[in-house]
Amino acid sequence: MSYKTNENWFYRVVGRNINLWQSVDGTTVDELAGHKIKLPGSFYGAQLIYPSESIDDGLMFEGTAYIEPFVDVDPSELDGANNPTLTEETVALSTLDEDSHVNLNRFLSLAVCDYVKAMSSDLGGDIPTKEYYMKEFWKKVGDNASNKKIFSLVSTTSPHSVK
Amino acid sequence: MTVQEVMERTGVKNTNLAIAWIRDAIHLIQSNSDDQVATWKTNIVDKTREYPFPSNLIRLQSISVLDTTDSKYKRIKRLVQTPTISEDTDPE
Repeated sequence: MSYKTNENWFYRVVGRNINLWQSVDGTTVDELAGHKIKLPGSFYGAQLIYPSESIDDGLMFEGTAYIEPFVDVDPSELDGANNPTLTEETVALSTLDEDSHVNLNRFLSLAVCDYVKAMSSDLGGDIPTKEYYMKEFWKKVGDNASNKKIFSLVSTTSPHSVK
Repeated sequence: MTVQEVMERTGVKNTNLAIAWIRDAIHLIQSNSDDQVATWKTNIVDKTREYPFPSNLIRLQSISVLDTTDSKYKRIKRLVQTPTISEDTDPE
């Protein structure tokens, strides 16, 4: 039974995998003829060991992902009062074409336009124009991230300030 | 915005090339901001150390392990250094 997993479990990134380690401090004790004995070969002391139990759905990754990049309807428009129901369109399903919607909001879609212009300029060997559009791309990506953050700017007034 | 609208705004005439660049742009956006965040769950197997990253993961935010005593996922820490291994039944 796993407990305090935030304190007792660790991971290490190894290429495309993670190595999962469990921290233990103690040893395996058995009873023989009324005497407690430490089993030969059992671990002892503070150590990292391989996971010592099976846990269904025990490991959870959280992160950004490549999810449904192209969909059938505009993701920025409401369906009545509800969020739109998006269906992925792919090459494999032969549904991905020029009518497919990029699964980003309007602002990030404009950033994508800047990126496409940058790559188009790059293809034509026009590096200054590419750099300009890449700057515009990152500016829009940054602005989009800022739009979701609510903060207020508070500054103190100097006691000697003239009002 | 449709692929066609992107092509019209940018003057790109090749649909496949436009789609490829749009994919690249989405990848860059997801690498640097949190537009779409997802979770993936997998089984932990007794005495098994290696677990692959989800194939469509772009930027890792956290890894959690289920605490079965209170049925909650708790974030685990990353080992900065390689642990000193004295016994290893599954060497890399």
